[in-house]
Amino acid sequence: MCNRSVGLIQREIEKYGIPTISISIVRKFTEEIKPPRAVFLKWPLGHPLGEPFNIKQQAIVLKKALEALTDIKEPGTIRDLPYRWRRYEDLEK
Amino acid sequence: MGRLKNQLISKLFTKFPFLVERWVKKAAPWKAQDIPWAPLTKPVKDCKIALATTAGVHLKSQKPFNMKDPNGDPTFREIPRDTPKGQFIITHDYYDHKDADKDINIVFPIDRLKELKERGEIADIAEINFGFMGHIDGGHIYTLINGTAQEVAEKLRAQGVDAVLLTPG
Repeated sequence: MCNRSVGLIQREIEKYGIPTISISIVRKFTEEIKPPRAVFLKWPLGHPLGEPFNIKQQAIVLKKALEALTDIKEPGTIRDLPYRWRRYEDLEK
Repeated sequence: MGRLKNQLISKLFTKFPFLVERWVKKAAPWKAQDIPWAPLTKPVKDCKIALATTAGVHLKSQKPFNMKDPNGDPTFREIPRDTPKGQFIITHDYYDHKDADKDINIVFPIDRLKELKERGEIADIAEINFGFMGHIDGGHIYTLINGTAQEVAEKLRAQGVDAVLLTPG
């Protein structure tokens, strides 16, 4: 439900004229709610930025989310990030 | 008893991801039509960024979210940018937050954002950020979209926030 609520709140903020980006970990909910922009990771609930104290991993997800804020030009785009859960070699992509 | 059940289910969800997929398939669809759009008009390095999370994050000094109402809690808590580390707490029985309890940044990346500010990759961080508890159902959905979410949007605008990052639990 968290992913659904994120999208609902996001839509209201965007309606106020403030650009928004969200991190999704349940793609179906995000597809249904249609927030303006999102990045998706197939990661476990409760871990949108990764694992505790893995600063590098968290920083990469944050960076990719902020990049998407600028790059996404088509409303409703959900960008799939290429990072599999605990496959640290993916973070070099 | 209800809280224990929800906490147990959330632990099972973390351990067995296929259960999440089954639950997602069964969840009633919520179809949105139009897509709101406010383009970013300046580079991220010149932006004041705010965080909003539905991971149940709040301060220990604040009232916890209501875990007894089966439809959840559509209210929010204000989280100051400079909250000391030990002051965060998570109230949310619908996902397993034992990892986020160890490091709040995996759901509320405030320290990572501060590092970006130090490096000049963003201009500033909102003085006040926002915590929701994402289990919001039934009539509370309308309280959220017609009430509390708009209230937060107004507070973001009043702070001169340029963009918002939202994170789930």
